[in-house]
Amino acid sequence: MKPNQYFGRMSRRDFLKLAGGGLLAVSGMGLLRKAISPDSIAFAQDEAPDKVFAATDGWIYLPPLPTASPYHPDDLSPDPSLFTTYMFGFRDVTGMTDDQILNQKMKAQHTAPMFWMSEGQQFRLELRNLGLQMRPDLTDAHTVHFHGFKNAIPFFDGEPSSSVSVPMNRSFTYIYRPHDPGTYMFHCHVEDVEHVQMGMTGLVFVRPSQGDHFVFNDGDGSTAFDREFGMMLSEMWVDSHWADSHIQLPEWSDYNPDFSMMNGRVYPDTIAPNGQGYDANGDLIAPDGNPSLQYQPISSLVNCNAGEKVLLRFANLGFMQDSMTLEGIQMHVVGKDATFLRNGSTDNSYLTNTIVIGAGESFDAIFTAPAHSGVGAYDTYLLYNRNFSRSHSIGDFGAGKQMTEIRVHPAGTLPAQTEPNT
Amino acid sequence: MQKHFHLQPQKMIAVFFVLALMVSMIPSGNLTAGAQGPLTDGMVCTNGPSFTLTSKSGYIGTPDGNVVYMWGFSSGSDPYQYPGPVLCVTQGDTVTIVVHNTLNRKISLIFPGQENVLADGQPDGPEFSGSNLVSLARTAAASGGTVTYSFVAQRPGTYIYQSGTETDIQVPMGLFGALVVRPAGHPDWMYDSASTAFDPNREYITLLSEVDPALSTAMERNRTFKARNYHPRYWFINGRGLPDTLAPNFASWLPSQPYGGLVRITPYHPTLNPLPAAVRYLSVGSIDYPFHPHGNNVRVVGRDGNLLASPTLDDLAYDKYSIPVGPGQAWDTLFTWQDPEAYSLDNPVPVTFPNILDLFFGTFFSGSPYLGSQGALPVGTTVQNQCGEFYHIAHNHALYQLTSWGAVMTGMGTYTRIDPPTGCP
Repeated sequence: MKPNQYFGRMSRRDFLKLAGGGLLAVSGMGLLRKAISPDSIAFAQDEAPDKVFAATDGWIYLPPLPTASPYHPDDLSPDPSLFTTYMFGFRDVTGMTDDQILNQKMKAQHTAPMFWMSEGQQFRLELRNLGLQMRPDLTDAHTVHFHGFKNAIPFFDGEPSSSVSVPMNRSFTYIYRPHDPGTYMFHCHVEDVEHVQMGMTGLVFVRPSQGDHFVFNDGDGSTAFDREFGMMLSEMWVDSHWADSHIQLPEWSDYNPDFSMMNGRVYPDTIAPNGQGYDANGDLIAPDGNPSLQYQPISSLVNCNAGEKVLLRFANLGFMQDSMTLEGIQMHVVGKDATFLRNGSTDNSYLTNTIVIGAGESFDAIFTAPAHSGVGAYDTYLLYNRNFSRSHSIGDFGAGKQMTEIRVHPAGTLPAQTEPNT
Repeated sequence: MQKHFHLQPQKMIAVFFVLALMVSMIPSGNLTAGAQGPLTDGMVCTNGPSFTLTSKSGYIGTPDGNVVYMWGFSSGSDPYQYPGPVLCVTQGDTVTIVVHNTLNRKISLIFPGQENVLADGQPDGPEFSGSNLVSLARTAAASGGTVTYSFVAQRPGTYIYQSGTETDIQVPMGLFGALVVRPAGHPDWMYDSASTAFDPNREYITLLSEVDPALSTAMERNRTFKARNYHPRYWFINGRGLPDTLAPNFASWLPSQPYGGLVRITPYHPTLNPLPAAVRYLSVGSIDYPFHPHGNNVRVVGRDGNLLASPTLDDLAYDKYSIPVGPGQAWDTLFTWQDPEAYSLDNPVPVTFPNILDLFFGTFFSGSPYLGSQGALPVGTTVQNQCGEFYHIAHNHALYQLTSWGAVMTGMGTYTRIDPPTGCP
């Protein structure tokens, strides 16, 4: 189409850094010199990555199971009072120094950092593989697979058998030129059943050229929203996580997840606040009052004002179907799998209370916050997976479940949203 | 944790020969196995409208090296195969299927999506023993029985035929296959609408199934099996698990699993290659399989023998990157791929290609980001790439089903192969 529209960003630091790397690469490429001319490499070096992700292992917190399990909490936890479950994951290390980045080994998070890009704007995502501290016997590579990206070339697709993957202490930059707005997901595709189950999953979306407060280029404002929340759905089968920390192999055909999660947490942790960025060492700062959620920084709490349109971006990278019910408010489903539900002049969008989401599917659903009841500071509505058997409860209804709260405040109470999931 | 891609050396060699064979045998237009010899890829039709299906027992190979006892239907006196033949007919045909039963138990066939099915000339229906329902359709007696079903194929689409007897045992044991009804006068349309036109050289079927080897062992030893203990360990496309799905149709080393799963296309071009491939997804499994082809969305044009159109014929087709194929469902899709950036040697990817020693290279990767070109690979790399063609995986995203009793990166997966516009030299 028009590749030139994508070139633009430049930083002197990266120019110098990459120029050195480019020389090394060219000298080592031999036959490849024919494939990529040095001139074009020099041109490409001008751009800094928009995001830098680190891939490594780590520990997160999940509540006790209703029945005792030898696999949970994991007996190898570095601090059983805080963390229960060994995992692999990504971290956003954009803007950190190299020292800070290297400090993040065994400090991965779940789910992965949510990120977004704009239709028609080139996006550069650098992946750095920091290795797996708990498993020095493993030399796993990692990748980023942008799940659902249309007309991808294998080079940037991240499926290791048909492309390249990133060994330990190496990096690779993925280039995305998004043409299709909507909600997607990403994950590491190396030994995918293991790396996905271990937690290397996240949500990514593409904003339309029509504007940041629309889901699609609808032409009539029908996908407008005031606030947006990513709802990344995932699962954890504690047997397989224990197996990984103990140098064992799980039998995958016995897969039976113990936890179904929203943005990497289960209720009521889902409504705890977001994390608070990173400290001088680059380590995550835990959500206020929730030290055990240090590596699960993404909140699923939906705060909104009466009358506002709220977009829920669902994506499922568990292996099971989730049946997400919003009790008491209709959802208007406007997109599926990053496709606007309109064909020509035919409107295929629909209203529902329950969205069934298979593995690898995404849904864009907008609800209009109802009027405030006048009682209390806000009205609470529940959004949960109504497949109750899939998420364990430890006593009272809710604890341990794939569930969050939607809090509707009187009109005009909350200021405009500045970031998703805030 | 496991090795990168579980190809045993023998299979590596096998895949190499497969790819070599594919180049020499690009399909030339007739998708029927017959006068022009077997196709290396693409849907293999057994043409009707009259068929003889013989139920048999046999063995299949699985990606973890196991051999599993199974049942299945074969055409006439053909040797055992899994799954059954793809029965191809034309809308309006009176389809006749004679079932010969060599198994030591009663069997039958049902045809979900077909109406007014006759069995031995009488309206077909459930079979009772006293007041007990024993079969969903008229049965062929054990060890030599015969029954003849017939119906008029009313609607174009992709359908399943499967056993209607002891369905919780006989279907997972392999008594099933696909039925394809083509629109009259338009064998290169999926439905009776020009919006479903496809390249007749690029017609594929993706029939999804699963196997519980404990059930197979029980049947092989004539033991009873409690359906509540059913627990599949293998997941298949067209009766094979990755990487066997990449082998050609009728691969000699898979004697009872004749159908490949590779989808093979060239890039979309408005004049030189305007027509999409047709991919017909079907499932005889027990739960939804969320199937995810990398590389591009599919365009869903039909479901279960129904064109996606409104009563006033507005086109209701849609694009999707995950296809949750439910038990008994058919999803008829069109697939194309193109590179909107037109990356090439003259329009390179705007990123420094790292030193080749700083990356791991996949076995299907050419070493170059560009279609039709090949790049340098580290010394000793085993590469299964012929001419710089692209591969995109297409797989079940319930990833525990992309395994075979524990062997990862096997099971319900295949690849889409994208050849350069002019093909491989």
